[in-house]
Amino acid sequence: MEFKEVVGRRRSIRYFLPWRPVERDKVQTILEAARLASRAGNADFARAIVVERDGLSKADLASLTLPVNAGMIEMAPIHIYWWGDLKAFARDMPSRAAEQVDMGVLNISHGWTHTFINEVAYPQVVQAFSSDAVLSAKVTGCEAGLAISQALLAAVDEGLGTMLCTYPEEPARQVLGVPDSWTSLWVQFVGYPAESWEAGGQRPRPPLGELFHEGKYGQPFRGTEEGAARLRAEKMIQDPAPFSWRKEEVRAVSRMLGLPEE
Amino acid sequence: MTPDIENAKTVQAWLKGLEDQSGVSRDEGLQRVAVLQDFCALVDKEPDQIIAECLREVEGGKKIRAKGRRFYADRITEFESRIGGGTGEKRQMGNYIRSFLIHNGVLLQTSPLS
Repeated sequence: MEFKEVVGRRRSIRYFLPWRPVERDKVQTILEAARLASRAGNADFARAIVVERDGLSKADLASLTLPVNAGMIEMAPIHIYWWGDLKAFARDMPSRAAEQVDMGVLNISHGWTHTFINEVAYPQVVQAFSSDAVLSAKVTGCEAGLAISQALLAAVDEGLGTMLCTYPEEPARQVLGVPDSWTSLWVQFVGYPAESWEAGGQRPRPPLGELFHEGKYGQPFRGTEEGAARLRAEKMIQDPAPFSWRKEEVRAVSRMLGLPEE
Repeated sequence: MTPDIENAKTVQAWLKGLEDQSGVSRDEGLQRVAVLQDFCALVDKEPDQIIAECLREVEGGKKIRAKGRRFYADRITEFESRIGGGTGEKRQMGNYIRSFLIHNGVLLQTSPLS
């Protein structure tokens, strides 16, 4: 699938075929997409635990369940529990940046040297970020989010349904045995969709110029009609929700799965 | 038990929700109410009492009482098991009760049949 169409097709899938497993190479692709995402200092912010639903004990599944994730956690055969490593930046940045200087990725033309990393960037920037809980959470959340976003798109590109949801941090910490420095982010449910891939149509979003500005705040970014037409032709912009048949679809899928339908 | 629970505030909210969100007619809705009445008999509670045991008033809104919700989730499963018919029918009857709770703000999900 072309990139723009993958972006256009991505939406939260909330009904999965519980009985259809996800091929291991597709899960690998999702994780690989996350591994290759942009990340500050080439540090390992995004961490994940992949769990096969059917490999969880009933007690563990129950402890990972919240009222808001209860349906999906039992329908989706694969759960990817995403975490952010709050120690990643301070731990990884000096050696990774140095490695990138040696590889010619970070160069003199932009001011990068071993001296700059060790004497300026690390103590002035990285340590300052890492010792401030709010900044640390902000950087970790943003950087891990970039990886998670690619994981979502990769799942769509593999023909899978996927969505992000919340999970209970402490029970998950116990069940999954993660280090103390990891902070919980989202669980990504993955499976074959039981609903159509359209899932009711592209979700309503404010117009481009309402969200994004040009030059300064208050001056809306203006796209062009031609640009929008091209994005429609290339399937990034798709038919918006609501679809006339959506409620019937939800009712039929719910009935098939034995979920409340009305 | 009040013989007719239709006028209960929470039943009215449910019927309105069924009609507005899912297009279920008033007559169809009343058939669901009859099932709710059977459930109320099982737990020996009025509809408004059931909801009150699942939600509590807090500043700015309502909060779910986890214990109450868990209790009624288990009672719904019990209700399903007592009903005659196939798996799908039993589940549908249980889902009518879940729908009553959901339309009154009690987030409640159930396992898919597979």
